[in-house]
Amino acid sequence: MIFNSYDFVVFFVVVFILYWFVFNKTAKAQNVLLLISSLFFYAWADWRFLGILIFNILFNYYLAKSIFKASKVAVKQKILWFGILINVGILGYYKYFNFFYENLINIFSSGTTFTALDLLIPLGISFFTFQSLGYIIDVYYEEVEPYNDLMLFSTYMVFFPKLLSGPIERVQKFIPQIVSKRVFDYPLIADGLRQILWGLFAKLVIAENCAVIVDPVFENYNNESGSTLLFVSFFYMIQLYADFSGYSNMAIGVAKLLGIKLSRNFATPFFSLNISEFWRKWHMTLTSWMMDYIFTPLSFILRAYKKIGLIISVIITFLIVGLWHGANWTYIVFGLIHGIYFIPVILKGTSVNKASNTMTENKYLPSVVELFKMLVLLVQVMLASVFFRSETVIKAINYLSRIFSKSLISLPSSIINGRNALIFMFIAFFITVEWFHKTKSHEFDISGKPLYIRWFFYIIIFILLLFAGRTAEAFIYFQF
Amino acid sequence: MERNDIVLKLKNILAETLEHTNFEINDALTAKDVDGWDSLSHMIIITQIEKEFGIKFKLRDLNKLDNVGALIDVIQTKL
Repeated sequence: MIFNSYDFVVFFVVVFILYWFVFNKTAKAQNVLLLISSLFFYAWADWRFLGILIFNILFNYYLAKSIFKASKVAVKQKILWFGILINVGILGYYKYFNFFYENLINIFSSGTTFTALDLLIPLGISFFTFQSLGYIIDVYYEEVEPYNDLMLFSTYMVFFPKLLSGPIERVQKFIPQIVSKRVFDYPLIADGLRQILWGLFAKLVIAENCAVIVDPVFENYNNESGSTLLFVSFFYMIQLYADFSGYSNMAIGVAKLLGIKLSRNFATPFFSLNISEFWRKWHMTLTSWMMDYIFTPLSFILRAYKKIGLIISVIITFLIVGLWHGANWTYIVFGLIHGIYFIPVILKGTSVNKASNTMTENKYLPSVVELFKMLVLLVQVMLASVFFRSETVIKAINYLSRIFSKSLISLPSSIINGRNALIFMFIAFFITVEWFHKTKSHEFDISGKPLYIRWFFYIIIFILLLFAGRTAEAFIYFQF
Repeated sequence: MERNDIVLKLKNILAETLEHTNFEINDALTAKDVDGWDSLSHMIIITQIEKEFGIKFKLRDLNKLDNVGALIDVIQTKL
């Protein structure tokens, strides 16, 4: 039941009416409805894994309490490690067992054939496991006290707009919003609707149309010129961004319709001047999770080694970012490349002040230097995204080596046609709107604009959705 | 050590690591307010503080550093 399906619309309309008009008397009633509807939502997607989700909630709820109650730090630490082991163990079993098993067999016994276990990955497991891990680690470090209300904690864990693909929410930010009764807030709901509309546009018009260009070329890249492959890697990067930022905007928008504010997940990442700024704006809730729970402890342990320690920490963090996406060497290489991109930034240090390292916020147009830096970053991200899209590392390397061949200096004739020119114009419209809203709370925050301008945009987007939108069965990030 | 002395020393460490002095140390100051004080330079700053003051932080201490005031408090408890 994805956001852009009729099933979801029916489901959500029912929840919305019940939430604001039937279960609206107390916070508890609202939370009961959210909890039941979220479990129903998950079960609808895949009821077989409902048990794992419920186990995860109960296990971490009680584990956090026992960490808090333990009087000795050594005991607290043991309980925490037990919790980490179980959480990572379950995630590892479903998501990575076959991958590690296959690689180990390949290394140690060349003659043995590998039989994969028939494992399906529980939907959203990477997202809810990270939330649980963050919670128990925060309780251990006394950042947060464990919650004594299982209902509140469960509602936080399963809240359906973010259950399958994030944003990865922090308990400290979410639970205070559901402790008291939510009241119908028209501006917030209108803003949620705008965000959903922009998410739909990004997903159905931009991402799905890019896929039409990208998929056949990646299938058959051996017959394409270097220039075509370069342009297609650009289209794929836009597809990936539009797909996941579109999803995130829909999730955040749907939550707003229920009076709950989720964390921002993307903040126009391509308008960045270096890789560090890019990651502060791309999949922000994952980056901030990785920063707090992987990078900071690692760089703390390695701090005696100064910049070398930082480089090692960044590379390990990004290898984990890559592996988090899935059990495939392509994701690991993707992470590694992004980690390597950080090396010049670290070596250069912070001697260049922040103003010249961060996109100027209040200017209409970037300067020539900014444009050049953005372009360099764009190419960096485009090339790394080839690994993200390819089925194997070898295919990605072949793809990239074909880009850097003589045929790079030729017209990308196989993708030059009327349809693609139109898609390119949609992308230009998409990027322009995002550029002018880069300092706003989201990419389509036009709340301050006059009524006729707002409706002008709504109508344009409706028309584009109607005539240029494609149907979509899934989001790229659902598999993670 | 007096709080003022800590502030002075801290100012030098930040100026040396970040290579500028476009900041005014006060309790409410956060890393976000200071150019170049990001998650990459943070650990370099922490290491310099440990060296200059002859103290050792625990990871647990770092999680509580919401602003410079909190940082000075932690340094003071360790001296």
